[in-house]
Amino acid sequence: MHYLRISDDVIDVGDLYQQLVDPQYGGIDMFVGTVRQWTGDIETTKIEYSAYHPMAERQLEKIAAPIEEKGGRVVVAHRTGLLKLTDIAVFVGVAAPHRAEAFQWCQHVIDTLKQEVPIWKKEYDTDKVRWGN
Amino acid sequence: MKVTIKLFAFLQDQLGPTVTVELDQPTSVEKIFSAVAELAPTLRPVLANSRLAVNQEFFNGDQLSLQPTDEIAIIPPVSGG
Repeated sequence: MHYLRISDDVIDVGDLYQQLVDPQYGGIDMFVGTVRQWTGDIETTKIEYSAYHPMAERQLEKIAAPIEEKGGRVVVAHRTGLLKLTDIAVFVGVAAPHRAEAFQWCQHVIDTLKQEVPIWKKEYDTDKVRWGN
Repeated sequence: MKVTIKLFAFLQDQLGPTVTVELDQPTSVEKIFSAVAELAPTLRPVLANSRLAVNQEFFNGDQLSLQPTDEIAIIPPVSGG
C-alpha cells in the first residue's frame, strides 16, 4: 500500500490527496467517512474507535496489494480515539489510470475494510452506548 | 496448556484486554470460544459471531495445535469505516 495509517492523528484530506497525485493517473476517487448524528431515530453524540494493531494494518495491506499489482495506488487513513460529530473517521483514496477502475477499487477497499479489518466503533448515543456493526 | 487470549471491543469491555484459559492440545475454535463463554455466559451471542485470529491472521479452520508463542485473539464483528 502506498500510504496507510491507523492512529489518533486527525485526517487531513488535502495531505492525503497529495499522496495520490501522479502523472500516471487520470482518475482519483476518494471516500471520506464522517461521524453521523442520526441513524433512524437514534442520535449519536460521539464515537470512539479502537483497533487491533498491527493486524488491522496487515489486513489493509492485503486489501490494497491486488489493486497496486494492477497499477493502482491506495491511500487509507483511519482514526482511532474519540471523535465528535462531523469528524473524519476514515479516508480511502484510490488513484488509477481511468475513472472506472478508480471508482470500482475505492468502493472495494472501503467495503472490504468494513468486513475484514479489526477496527471497532463504540457509539455514544443519547439513549445508550452501542458497539457498532 | 494455559492460553492467553486477547479480547477487543465489547468483549474487552466485559472481560478486560486478555483472559487466560486452560486448553488441552490440540484444540479447536469451538473449544476456545466455549472456554471464554464459561467465564461470561452472557457473551455467547457475541462469541457466536466472532472469529479467531492466530498470530494476527484470521483462522478459518476448526482444529488447531497452539504453540506457547502463538498470539491468540478473538475478533468480534468489526465496525470500522
